[in-house]
Amino acid sequence: MNALLKKEMRLSASILSYLFISFAVMTLLPGYPILCGVFFITLGIFQSFQSAREANDIVFSALLPIAKRDVVKGKYLFSILIELSGVFIMAVLTLVRMTLLSDSQIYRQNALMNANPFFLGMTLLLFGVFNLIFIGGFFKTAYKFSGPFVTYIILAFLLVGVAEALHHIPGLEALNAFGFDHFGLQMLLLAGGALMFILLTWLSYNKATVSFEKIDL
Amino acid sequence: MNIVEIKDVCKTYPAFKLKDVSFSLESGKITGFIGRNGAGKTTTIKSMLNLIHTDSGEVCYFGLPLSEHETEIKQRIGYSTGTVSWYPRKTIRQIVDITKTFYKNWDEEAYRRYMTLFGIDENKKPIELSEGMKVKFNLLLALSHKAEVLILDEPTSGLDPFSRDELLELFKTLRSHGVTILFSTHITSDLEKCADNIVYISNGEIRANCTKEAFLKDHGKPGETLEEVFLRLEREVLS
Repeated sequence: MNALLKKEMRLSASILSYLFISFAVMTLLPGYPILCGVFFITLGIFQSFQSAREANDIVFSALLPIAKRDVVKGKYLFSILIELSGVFIMAVLTLVRMTLLSDSQIYRQNALMNANPFFLGMTLLLFGVFNLIFIGGFFKTAYKFSGPFVTYIILAFLLVGVAEALHHIPGLEALNAFGFDHFGLQMLLLAGGALMFILLTWLSYNKATVSFEKIDL
Repeated sequence: MNIVEIKDVCKTYPAFKLKDVSFSLESGKITGFIGRNGAGKTTTIKSMLNLIHTDSGEVCYFGLPLSEHETEIKQRIGYSTGTVSWYPRKTIRQIVDITKTFYKNWDEEAYRRYMTLFGIDENKKPIELSEGMKVKFNLLLALSHKAEVLILDEPTSGLDPFSRDELLELFKTLRSHGVTILFSTHITSDLEKCADNIVYISNGEIRANCTKEAFLKDHGKPGETLEEVFLRLEREVLS
């Protein structure tokens, strides 16, 4: 597994995948739909799939002494690593906003989504959707990625829009909690997001391995 | 002794069909795999590497089915082609550093030796290599993990006569060390110089699988070269 991940990181990956993790700091932007940070991180991962295709990476990997399904595993491991690196930075910055900056007027007078555990849950859900739609879609052919990526963009921005709008609906204000308000509910939503991330990624991985076994390289 | 067995492999594409392809590779021999462009050579080779999903049939190496022992088998075989370049913008050193971590039998000393023999500069990128050097680079990867079976898809295409001759000599040396080679080509003159056996494929079907001498005897006319026999057989198929 180490060799697989090392190959993905050092041979297949685009430098943009690493650079775009820094979009996680959008978590600190006031008056901005902060979930867009997720989109930019996934755009970085997309760049790696693009450069891997140009480098004939899939066929090269399939020729290595690994099982065909391990080619798929390598791509998922790499993507998850980038995604969780982004989530880690977002979580640290969310904690900063929940503690040191919890009374900051610049965040309090913000009509858009606040950085809180619900935001992190949505972040994980969006990464799960990326894994399901884009990576899963890519492995149907192992070369076509435009369709899956466009589908993902549409779904992702719909979800961002819904997540931004939800706390304006009467009764759902708790979604936009500041500091440690509604902490139980917030943590539940984070756990739900994490669960969805695991579920969608697992579903996608299993489907991708089956598809990849059937396709011709 | 047969070290590779291809049994009844079928693959259907919308405009092409590989029909019950069966042949074997004798241990320590060079087998020339001939057929015109589009005859099914690359499809057959891809099925031997599990790169395509065949409709039926089985490929066995060392008596083991590829479908069940893929990882183990791939440790012991090597593949080279002149038509594809891997990671064109990475240096050869970067590619090799990663590739060798996958092979249990990687031989650094052999790697250095072949690198010097082939005149490959580790700091170069595949995009900077000529077609011939790309073939040599792929061969370098295969030889450095001590592959017992080499599957070579058009390895001499794009090479100048001197480099071709050099490679053919290398194949003969490898054969003397017990390496089994499948050499797919449409440049039949290369096989005159080094092949022991011939597998001839036409329109997705194996038409011959025998020693070079038997092939010339069964299909050729007195004094005909392998190339002349091949050309005549193809013309017969067309007419």
